[in-house]
Amino acid sequence: MSELLTQIAECIEFGKINKVAPFPPQMKGQDGADELTARAIAEGVAVQDILTKGLMAGMEKVGIKFRENKIFVPQVLMSAKAMSTAMMHLKPFFASGEARQKGTFIIGTVLGDLHDIGKNLVAMMVEGNGYNVVDLGTDVPAAKFIAALEEYPGAVIGLSALLTTTMTNMDSITREIKKLKPETVVAIGGAPVNQEFCEKIGADYYSPDPQGVVEFLNRRIA
Amino acid sequence: MIKEFSFRFDELVLDLPLLEQSLGFGEGPLPEPIDEYLAEALAFAVDLPDIRCAYRLVDLDEPVHRSHKIVAEGIEFHVGHTVRHELKKSERLAFFICTAGAVISERSKALLLDGDPVLGYVYDLVGSFVAESAGDKMQEILLEQVSSSGEKITNRYSPGYCQWSVSEQHKLFSLFPDRCCGVSLTPSALMHPVKSISGVIGVGKEVKFREYRCAVCSSTDCVYRQIHQRSVMA
Ligand code: B12
Repeated sequence: MSELLTQIAECIEFGKINKVAPFPPQMKGQDGADELTARAIAEGVAVQDILTKGLMAGMEKVGIKFRENKIFVPQVLMSAKAMSTAMMHLKPFFASGEARQKGTFIIGTVLGDLHDIGKNLVAMMVEGNGYNVVDLGTDVPAAKFIAALEEYPGAVIGLSALLTTTMTNMDSITREIKKLKPETVVAIGGAPVNQEFCEKIGADYYSPDPQGVVEFLNRRIA
Repeated sequence: MIKEFSFRFDELVLDLPLLEQSLGFGEGPLPEPIDEYLAEALAFAVDLPDIRCAYRLVDLDEPVHRSHKIVAEGIEFHVGHTVRHELKKSERLAFFICTAGAVISERSKALLLDGDPVLGYVYDLVGSFVAESAGDKMQEILLEQVSSSGEKITNRYSPGYCQWSVSEQHKLFSLFPDRCCGVSLTPSALMHPVKSISGVIGVGKEVKFREYRCAVCSSTDCVYRQIHQRSVMA
């Protein structure tokens, strides 16, 4: 059984979606995350174990390798694709409560900014590490974050921006969120953002990469 | 005087080795299906109808080295120390806007949103390279134009780099008619279509062209720097 979970973890780590997928070359022709997850469920492996010891274990490796510049965006996207394919098999078990996600993360690119690749990567990585992710898209005003918080009380907020001009909107959005919901944890990121800016606007956490925010969430709410 | 150009993809010189390297698969051929994705995106780029550039040559109101700012057409640009240094000795400036166009920007966005994100990312990267290559092509044309009068050009410098605030694009865009080259600027200084660049080039008999290197930029976590470091380490 643990052999199967290790194989699932490897499929996520290397982005092996399913048997017909040619990527990665060294796994060509082998079963992918799709087939192996289905097999694990059929063999009665605990769904929570498939999630944590298979899928999440693989995704953690992806996050670390990306942080260390050992892999680039396309490999991460391949892994995310393998992950979401496997997750389709697990969806019914989340609904029934047999598998649990660790908490909710609401993410969006702030008002005035339309960049989304960086934000999407963070969303995929956080989801792949066992969180429910609510992606509000781009050009998101404070009111939309607050409305999402009403729906998911206690969720952590993630803000993304790629220009120094739009980064300033993180300030007002963080302030508005904290005014109405002072207990809300706000994490920020994006190319021009840094730790100093994070402290200045009273956000709770900054990370230059997605893995940082995953580790932060694991410490903070998991 | 504003000069505007439309380029065909096959007139541009894309740095294909760098493009492949940016995909992050190291040395050797790209793996399947990434090789097909790149071929698809490049084939799509061949038909791009809206790769455009414009530049406007203006006289400097005062010499660059005497002042903390750059003043042209009565507009004060606060370009920061590095860019000012690079532009010193310029007699004229060429402000520019270049774009890979809305077609590729929108195609990549659509694929990223609900198609295939990996393919979407490859289109995105090709779009970025097209925008930069259009800038190279425009630079060539500018050089050709000014060299007839014995002038040379500097490299190009953009608001948002080297302490030149990205919001100064509003001043730059005021030198051009609305939606010049099909590009517009939002209040938060974001260009539409996204695959666009803006900036300035110094022109004069004494100016020097210096390759733009990571050394003059303060950004530490830029992907270009990572690619550069990786190839240095390899
Ligand atoms: C490719 C690129 C371009 C391309 C394409 C741009 C596009 N929008 O598609 C081109 C050449 C067209 C371009 C143009 C410009 N660019 Co540009 N560009 C880049 C570059 C090199 C890579 C961007 C990218 O795709 N990164 C990949 C993604 C995955 O990274 P990311 O979005 O940063 O996200 C990661 C992290 O930031 C983090 N993250 C993101 N969000 C969040 C959220 C949370 C909560 C957390 C924890 C983490 C996190 O995780 C992600 C994954 O690691 C960056 C430098 C860099 N960052 O490396 C500059 C950069 C974004 N550009 C910049 C600038 C200034 C411009 C221009 C304004 C220049 C000009 N005057 O022409 C224009 C603007 C274009 C426009 N539409 O308005 C600046 C922006 C900063 C600033 N000064 O405002 C940057 C940062 C470069 C710099 N100077 O340091 N650009």
